[in-house]
Amino acid sequence: MSHLDTELKRLKSECIEMFDLVASQLRKAQLAMVDFDKELAHEVNFNEKRVNALELKIDKDCENIFALFNPVAIDLRFVLAVLKINSNLERVGDIADGIARYVIEAQAPFSAELMEITRLNEMFDQAISMMNDTQLAFQNENAKLARGVFQKDELLDQINGAANAAIEVVIRRNVDGITPALHIVSAIRKLERTGDQTKNVAEEIIFYLEAKVLKHLEK
Amino acid sequence: MRMIETKNVQLYYGDFHALKDISMQIESNTVTALIGPSGCGKSTYLRLFNRMNDLIDNVRIEGDVLVEGRDIYGKGLGMRIDELRKKVGMVFQKPNPFPKSIFENVAYGLRVNGIKNKDYIEERVETSLKQSALWNEVKDKLNKSAFELSGGQQQRLCIARALANEPSVLLMDEPASALDPISTAKIEELIYELKEKYTIIIVTHNMQQAGRVSDKTAFFYLGELIEYDTTPHIFTNPTDSRTQAYVTGRFG
Repeated sequence: MSHLDTELKRLKSECIEMFDLVASQLRKAQLAMVDFDKELAHEVNFNEKRVNALELKIDKDCENIFALFNPVAIDLRFVLAVLKINSNLERVGDIADGIARYVIEAQAPFSAELMEITRLNEMFDQAISMMNDTQLAFQNENAKLARGVFQKDELLDQINGAANAAIEVVIRRNVDGITPALHIVSAIRKLERTGDQTKNVAEEIIFYLEAKVLKHLEK
Repeated sequence: MRMIETKNVQLYYGDFHALKDISMQIESNTVTALIGPSGCGKSTYLRLFNRMNDLIDNVRIEGDVLVEGRDIYGKGLGMRIDELRKKVGMVFQKPNPFPKSIFENVAYGLRVNGIKNKDYIEERVETSLKQSALWNEVKDKLNKSAFELSGGQQQRLCIARALANEPSVLLMDEPASALDPISTAKIEELIYELKEKYTIIIVTHNMQQAGRVSDKTAFFYLGELIEYDTTPHIFTNPTDSRTQAYVTGRFG
């Protein structure tokens, strides 16, 4: 294996580690919210530092590979893709941390009814499933799996679109519950954004594997 | 472990001050690249370590040059030159095989050192050719002339010849500059593998090559050591503006 191949392999491992870490953060944020587990929320908050540190490490490694090895063709696309995937994953990490903070700030458990009618849990599951698909697509160099992520994002958009109306009804019934309701709406907005970030990751995987630029195109 | 060290080395060719107060430490099992524009002193610095500068008239050297902690210019508990030449192998810019067979080229250094044991010589030749990634290409024609090999193969043969004496240090003076890109890539991969066993110092004009193969890089300019640091540092955020100008191709 050439020196460059060794470096690229290491970069891929680090990126997979980032996928694992961020997906785990999102899962823990979900559990913290559903079970109102403040300890778990604090854990997510603490692990955000690890996400940030790993982002910086991957950025630095990409910089070094550009500077020292002058990669070309698929190697160049791979390093460019990792640089952007890394940044998108870090934002998903921020989102998990943001949701965990709502749990830390909340005085009482979130209303099960509210979570049910806003389909919050379903949204979490879908966002995590999209993350898993992109990770597998990246790991196994599977562009078809990456393309599947675009369809999955539609469900997130749909839930997000319906959330306002659903929550409005509940708030009208119980004005005292505005703050936790707003936290749930905010969590839904954030999860919708994880969908966008994950789609960006999928685009980068396709760019790396097929040299096709899908940005700003109908998919 | 520190393999090589120079302390306040000054070197003069007659009146010309070629190396100015160079202090540097090189760890074992690393690759160090010496870069800089022509005439900056990098090859002169490289040749300090096997005393090849001694062959030039009117050379004067001051300061200390230590290999494995021992002064190689014979001061104190210094190292004798024949011992030094065994410890420090060298590969030059152009492949320079001897007009002998492939086998005899590699065995040459052993024979010169008085080794007569046939089995030992055969074992060293095979090991050295394997280490230089040439064995599979030449094992069936060891008695053929070295001149029948391609340029890239000849250079790997010269590396095998340098390795036959089991040196600790391998000096390489632009070892791939006369080779095509594929042969160059092979030599670079070889350097990457050889550092497990050897300490390698390489002079190169090719900055990408320095980036690809070395752990540390030293930038020389007008006989001075301007900057010496890890290769990623030199190529991403050099401290001195002259290093930055050189690695970005803005001068030299």
